[in-house]
Amino acid sequence: MSNPWIAIGALAVVAVLIPAGMIAVSSLLRPTVPEQGKRAVYESGEVPTGNTRIRFNIQYYMVALLFVVFDIETVLIFPWTVIYRDAVANAGLAKALGPMLVFIGVLVVGLGWAWRNGAVKWVRSPRAERQRVEQ
Amino acid sequence: MSFVDIIGDLLGFGQLSAGEELIAAFIGAAIIGTLMLTNTALAGPWAKRKITAAFTDRIAVNRVGPAGLLIIVADAVRLLSKELIVPEEVDRPAWDFAPIVMAGSAILGFAVIPMGSGIQLADPETGLAFVFAVGSIASLGLVMAGYASNNKFSFLGGLRAVAQNLAYEIPLVLTGASVVLFTGTLQMSSIVQSQQAALLSLGPITIPAWYAFVNPFAFVLFMAANLAEVGRNPFDIPEAPTEIVAGYQTEYSSVYFVLLYLGEFVHIFLGGAIVTTLFLGGPAGPVLPGFVWFMIKIWAIFLFTQWARSAVPRVRIDQLIEIGWKGMLVLSFANLVLTAVIVGVTGI
Repeated sequence: MSNPWIAIGALAVVAVLIPAGMIAVSSLLRPTVPEQGKRAVYESGEVPTGNTRIRFNIQYYMVALLFVVFDIETVLIFPWTVIYRDAVANAGLAKALGPMLVFIGVLVVGLGWAWRNGAVKWVRSPRAERQRVEQ
Repeated sequence: MSFVDIIGDLLGFGQLSAGEELIAAFIGAAIIGTLMLTNTALAGPWAKRKITAAFTDRIAVNRVGPAGLLIIVADAVRLLSKELIVPEEVDRPAWDFAPIVMAGSAILGFAVIPMGSGIQLADPETGLAFVFAVGSIASLGLVMAGYASNNKFSFLGGLRAVAQNLAYEIPLVLTGASVVLFTGTLQMSSIVQSQQAALLSLGPITIPAWYAFVNPFAFVLFMAANLAEVGRNPFDIPEAPTEIVAGYQTEYSSVYFVLLYLGEFVHIFLGGAIVTTLFLGGPAGPVLPGFVWFMIKIWAIFLFTQWARSAVPRVRIDQLIEIGWKGMLVLSFANLVLTAVIVGVTGI
């Protein structure tokens, strides 16, 4: 049995070579005629105003923080799912399932708390709130 | 015997030395890569048009070659020979790398997928974790493309892509974990193996113990989360043509556009391959060889995404956050706990 990671590494190289090869072929085929108007970014046909290197309210930073918590928690759940059957057979249902139920319970309480505090809600700007007509 | 060993045998290497193994691995990788490129070439310029046309009562490509099939060649030449327009003030390295990241990561995911007939490039013990990890690299490409383009529509598309992946990654992985409760392993070949037993026998028809039949609830959840993961309706808000032009790919032209598109299609097939492996018995099926069944299954899931694309309206970005965090996440936790209790009590 060969080491699987050698083959995976080989595919990683191939997966970069395929796009790189296509870019190389294309660079031999395509014309290059850069012009001022052509290179303007697309803004529905208008002359573009400013660029995107601005401070921008992404509106979901609380969700992103929650994501970090839950993602780490899935990392902790995965090993448990792998050994779960053996654990039930050897140590009994209560010992195998109980601690994980407590763990998930804590997380669900946390999610409920975040929910109640409006963390998983799309934050509207005050201006959008004023402009809203129907609810 | 693994795929790499078979290739080594065909080359007459016998017992593989390190160098020979590397050669065999590269040939195997090239085969897998070519296979996925062929699939995508068929799906992108031809099948997608035909499917969408059928849903909207049109004919689509039919001039070049039988049933318009040679449009694939014509389109490949046309797209590769287009001028690459570099917009002003783009963030150059990131803008160039994004298409490579998106196309490359999607192809890499197929390393651990068992495709039947002995075609599985690698079979590490952590296969499922690997494929989830690689599958979500694509969102990095989306952010790079969106942020580097210096276009407001691209910028919004990139940010939306992050919001979507944050909301649906956890339901996807947790639902995948609920399958692992049955199998007790992350190795892809063992997950397929454990679905071979018969679940029910109705006269001459035997229903196999595919996890789509054992746990249909998880299957539906996974399919929905998968649609969000690959960014198709009702969750195609990173592109949303009617709202933000084309999202993160607005400023891309020529070969870069091809690569972004290719990455998306390979990603859809990768999602289909994960669903097939976890829930549909992998390459298992009667009469036909395993590889043919594998292709039928991933194309069926591709057809499903195209159907959703034609038939389901898009959700709004704030609705997406609500569905993801208040609906899918809670349901996927419920599924995980219920599955654990059922497996623990009945010991299926």
